[in-house]
Amino acid sequence: MNLFEKIFNYQIISRLDDSGTFMITSQERAWLKTMLEHPAATAAFPESTLHKLKNVLEQDSTLDFKEHFIEKGRSIEKHVYHPLLRSCRRFILNKSSIVITYRLKGGSTTSAQNGVPYKLEYSMVKKEWYLLWYHLRHRSLMNTRLDHIVSVSEQSTSPEVLVQAFTNIQQILDKLKDQVILEVVNTYNQELSRILYAFSCFEKEVIYDATEQIYTICLSFIANEREYVLSKIRFLGKRVRIIEGDYLKKRMLESSRKALERYRITSPPIKDQHVSSPMDGNRLPMKY
Amino acid sequence: MAKESFDKEIQFLRMLVLTSGAYSRQQFADRLGISVHTFDKTIRKLKEINHSMSQQLPNEQSLELAEAIRLDYYDSADPMLLFLFRAKSLKESESQRISMLLAALHNHNALTAMELLDLCCGSLSADSAQPDEKTIRKDLKYLEEVGVIVRESGIRPHRYRIQNDLIQALSEDELIDLFDFVDVMANTQVPSVQGYLLRDSLKKNVAQLHTEKQAIQPFLYKYHYYSRILDEAHLFILLDAIHNHRKIKFLYFSPKSEKSYASKNTNPIFERETKGREELTLPLKVVYDHQYGRWYLLSHDSRQGIRKYRLEGMTQIGEDIQVSEQLFDAVYKKLEEKIQYSWLIDTGHSITVRVRFFNPGLSQPNFIKERVLLQGQWGQIVEEDEQSFIYEIVVNGSNEIKPWLRSFGSSCEILEPPLLRSEMIAEWKELQSYYESI
Repeated sequence: MNLFEKIFNYQIISRLDDSGTFMITSQERAWLKTMLEHPAATAAFPESTLHKLKNVLEQDSTLDFKEHFIEKGRSIEKHVYHPLLRSCRRFILNKSSIVITYRLKGGSTTSAQNGVPYKLEYSMVKKEWYLLWYHLRHRSLMNTRLDHIVSVSEQSTSPEVLVQAFTNIQQILDKLKDQVILEVVNTYNQELSRILYAFSCFEKEVIYDATEQIYTICLSFIANEREYVLSKIRFLGKRVRIIEGDYLKKRMLESSRKALERYRITSPPIKDQHVSSPMDGNRLPMKY
Repeated sequence: MAKESFDKEIQFLRMLVLTSGAYSRQQFADRLGISVHTFDKTIRKLKEINHSMSQQLPNEQSLELAEAIRLDYYDSADPMLLFLFRAKSLKESESQRISMLLAALHNHNALTAMELLDLCCGSLSADSAQPDEKTIRKDLKYLEEVGVIVRESGIRPHRYRIQNDLIQALSEDELIDLFDFVDVMANTQVPSVQGYLLRDSLKKNVAQLHTEKQAIQPFLYKYHYYSRILDEAHLFILLDAIHNHRKIKFLYFSPKSEKSYASKNTNPIFERETKGREELTLPLKVVYDHQYGRWYLLSHDSRQGIRKYRLEGMTQIGEDIQVSEQLFDAVYKKLEEKIQYSWLIDTGHSITVRVRFFNPGLSQPNFIKERVLLQGQWGQIVEEDEQSFIYEIVVNGSNEIKPWLRSFGSSCEILEPPLLRSEMIAEWKELQSYYESI
């Protein structure tokens, strides 16, 4: 199998677009046929569609790779598809508003809430689907596990309300943008590749100072992802140092102090006592 | 296919994505081991491809290349790196002809080679060279081989039709389901390049049905390592070689070295710069590491035993001699035993790691335990009380599991082995010194 077949050439593809021609190679069909064997397929399609697809692909081969290929360090795959994905996707496509009832972390259930859904998000780490939506009454962004949704349905809302909601979503997202600047500790420059790979799942910019041979990484993320960024920084340990971003700096200091306490090694008290921590505070949703 | 040129483009794109414009032209070229002139030429070509692939997206047209392929999480559904696989150079006349043949088959039910020749000659502009029958037959044979068209059975002359039953068979609604499925699977499973290619064509089809809604991309994938799709360029070559018990040879650039590529030297000025290592080895397994989004090859070498390579550093891969099935099976079995306890790819001695994880406060959901169960691979929780639980795992060496354990911060305490415990203490001390001044 050659991924560089000339049929995938960009000039051919753009010409085909112009004529509205749809083309599909046996490689793509083989991939699709293989994926249809994944349990997710039964959740993704109504039975009749799945049957139709399997029929069309009957003559095709599957990709034969499982035996010589392994995945390591991966999270257990809870689900790739969720039964609610199909309907929620259509609400977003139709730009409609929804009535949603969901379970809270403590186990209680909300009453029906009005909102506008805008994205479905899959966490590659947690292997969970989330519905991202805008709470019409609270004017805030919500992030609800599909697993926690008790019921969700479309409802009619005036176009003005929807337009306003989408403007607000954008404004809130812009406001939530956070940033941290890291420096690759000079002695670990040899491991630059590893470090950059670890951060390649973030929006980032890298600056290189050729005279000092120092790499600086500027990460952008949404504020509620701080905990994940923090866990990545801890993951890399001594290789990177936060040089801008007070909150994460304090959290790193606190992490190291508390970690050493676990080993019965105490250190002088830190100056600033108003640091939230995973143990005694909960300013942010504690995902990681 | 000019394989060398793709090796260059992969390294080029990877560096562009990972370092997001940190280097000047000269620095960039130096690191890749190419000339500034080649750098400029490659950038121009990639821009041209990017431009013609993103025509439907007028907003993106004006973007600079580095900016266009930079990960923007809220707009990440179209992996720009895919254009590596679109980048093959083709003669203008050939791309014109092939697309014309496919368009003709798309518009008509089924056609013979001669009918197609007539259509082709009729629609090509007068100043371009007219194809002959032999060329058309060659094209048809190729298209049949890659499965884009089928030859209908029956009497001669044979008629060809485009093989797009997949689309024909589906209703509008079903097409959306298919698009979503392909999107989700391409983004969450490996390998995925074929999925992304399919997704691309389906997207245009769905967009035709919903012109006003085509901009809506409902799915986001959080913490996704898009750069992994570049290494899939090598995946099928390696899998083929493993399947056929063939050795492979390649030029290897360790990711720790300064350079990640070297041009085949026609220019003597660059000759001394080539620092890749020539390797000849028997490939056994390909490993994808989810912790970093990196690919590895594990192989066997008669002198050095098990060898490990990052796919990232492999260039100019070619197949070599075949080995006997007995030899292959023997070393394969040995490798499988060796990697049974690899957190990633470590094949060293196995040790037992015991860790106490501390639960968050009582009022909080136990996200620590949740995460350990999710990511702790084959490790087990062996003891549990209200405040904490003990996790135990047999693993080859402690180096690969250490970053994961450290990422838990003060929520974990290493109990065993003593060496790992003291290493972790030393690391936290040093980390503390990084921030003590604040």
